[in-house]
Amino acid sequence: MGCDVAVAGGETATVAAVLGHWEAAFSLFRPESELSRVNRSPARVVAVSSLFAHALQVALDMAAETEGLVDPTLCGRWSEVAVSGWMLSRSPELALDLNGVVKALAVDEAAATVDGPGFVSVGGDLAVRGPVDVALPAGGAICVLAGGLATSGTASRGAHLVDTATGNASNSCWKQVTASGASCLDADVAAKAGFLLGECGPDWLEARGIPGRFVGEAGEIVENRAWHNATAAVPACT
Amino acid sequence: MKESSRIEGARRRARAAKVWLGALTALIFGVAFVGAKTHAPGHSKGKAQPLGAPSSFEHAVRRSALQSGQIAPPAQPPVASSTTS
Repeated sequence: MGCDVAVAGGETATVAAVLGHWEAAFSLFRPESELSRVNRSPARVVAVSSLFAHALQVALDMAAETEGLVDPTLCGRWSEVAVSGWMLSRSPELALDLNGVVKALAVDEAAATVDGPGFVSVGGDLAVRGPVDVALPAGGAICVLAGGLATSGTASRGAHLVDTATGNASNSCWKQVTASGASCLDADVAAKAGFLLGECGPDWLEARGIPGRFVGEAGEIVENRAWHNATAAVPACT
Repeated sequence: MKESSRIEGARRRARAAKVWLGALTALIFGVAFVGAKTHAPGHSKGKAQPLGAPSSFEHAVRRSALQSGQIAPPAQPPVASSTTS
């Protein structure tokens, strides 16, 4: 997936096979990927694989959850996309980009192949099986007891997160946003939404009980109450 | 001559009566049709509603889609890193 991959407690080959399967289906840079084929199709209704239908449904659910912040169309037209069974319906000129959820879904599936304690990390998106101590952006660390942890921002790949309201790269006041989720998917979507919301990000995550840690352009660190309470009151993991 | 003008007059009155009778029949039919459409049981009074859960319910369910994970202070040196994706 063009990212650093770290695996602990599981078979590296198995994890690589899972990640490769997802990349083969959803890469925008492979003309033979299913996503590229769908985006090339001039038909309004297209038959897709069950994996594609599942990922797209997740993406649409997350678009609804975030009120369009994490949008598979990147232009605010996610409500015009419908998937029923294996049939996808959308305007042919409407290109899809499922990168907002696919990497996290792949990490969650890869982590499910880990039998005992361990974790899978792809480009900093993390899913754990048992407690794992994780270094954070701009210094510091936490112990992830369960679920996932993800960071979104501009530090590594530049301004790649799109503000769907304008169609341009986001000019968020944050450099990096880290969020904890019940899965890597939840954490990743929460981190992206927190980043795109700018100053409203901490409160948005707080309202949903999601711990969030925000690193500003000058390096200042803001933790919402859920993050602060979780990392201050809960005893350290063993 | 006088006899034929009386017959013509009677025919005109008969034609006028037929026109009025037809118009009255159409009016009564129309009123009865509209009345049945709007009041009689079994007649659809509006757009059919889907039998699925209302959108407000689905929205409320989706609101809880994002769930928090479990985190705690670190106990050991980090073995993984959450960098920007």
